[in-house]
Amino acid sequence: MNRKLLALLPLLAFVLVCVFLFQGLFSNPREIQTGRLGQPMPAFDLPDLMQDSKRWQDSQLKGEVYLLNVWGTWCPTCLAELDYLTQLREQGVKIIGLYYVQSYDADFDGEFDISALREEVTSMLSRAGDPYQFNMLDLHRTLALDLGVSGAPETFLVDSKGTILLHHTGDINPRVWRAKFAPLMQELQP
Amino acid sequence: MKYILVVSMLFISGMVMAEQDRYQFDNNEQAQRFAELTKELRCPKCQNQNIADSDAVVAKDLREKVLALVKEGKSKDDVIEYMIDRYGYFVHYDPPVTPATLVLWVLPVLIVVFGFSSIIFRQRKAAVKQTWSEQDEALLAKLIAQNERQEQI
Repeated sequence: MNRKLLALLPLLAFVLVCVFLFQGLFSNPREIQTGRLGQPMPAFDLPDLMQDSKRWQDSQLKGEVYLLNVWGTWCPTCLAELDYLTQLREQGVKIIGLYYVQSYDADFDGEFDISALREEVTSMLSRAGDPYQFNMLDLHRTLALDLGVSGAPETFLVDSKGTILLHHTGDINPRVWRAKFAPLMQELQP
Repeated sequence: MKYILVVSMLFISGMVMAEQDRYQFDNNEQAQRFAELTKELRCPKCQNQNIADSDAVVAKDLREKVLALVKEGKSKDDVIEYMIDRYGYFVHYDPPVTPATLVLWVLPVLIVVFGFSSIIFRQRKAAVKQTWSEQDEALLAKLIAQNERQEQI
């Protein structure tokens, strides 16, 4: 009896490994830990993407629940999620854009061409939908680094006290919204 | 002539490689700390590379931040702490011991202990003296005799 049980051990080990590896097929490697959950929005002072004189500080955003969406015109997935984000805006979700400049090197590219970027942004948002209340320009990706952003698109859910509740890597679509964002949003704005 | 050409080409490539190493440090200790940190910190975008290895924008940003922090005189642990604050434990190749990761340390020890104890157990079992009586001896003799007779037929 004992001997038969022992003979089954390799099979058992094999099945366990199978289950473990099978799970791996459906896990998302982009779903990584983030250091900023439950912490306050880091302090920042960034220029508006569209207006020269306007600047935004973290204190101005307190008091309302909002999504901070990291995006760029260079990013195809960002373009893909604009339509759904615009629908969310129509439902009353406040979305603030953090424009992530992909690769600007002052030593290499010379002066940053803000008017060309504005034109590009305007044309893309008029074509695909504009979900943003406003956009902040993070030219040197300082706020992105403080938030633990690794690329675009990424989205943060921030409550009225300025606490970061969610950090989503990748696009937002109806499925992601239902699974991750909607339950929290319901708690925040009943 | 050919030989000289090959040797001189080797020198040229050596110079190019030296050119790429463009970070400037105040002293050797800082340079070494920077090298260690960029090897130990993991790129959050291209997940199986460290930030020294990766060309992703975020890896470049992290390198630059590590450089700035090292130049400020921050210790290695301070820099790692700074990155973990932002990118989570994921960003460091050396995971901390927490209830969730404890299995990484405990499991190998368990496997070794289990393996050795099963070997010892089996050896002990094999070393146990078998009982052997007169009756067994008689039975064996009878079986051998039977077998020999069958072979003769």
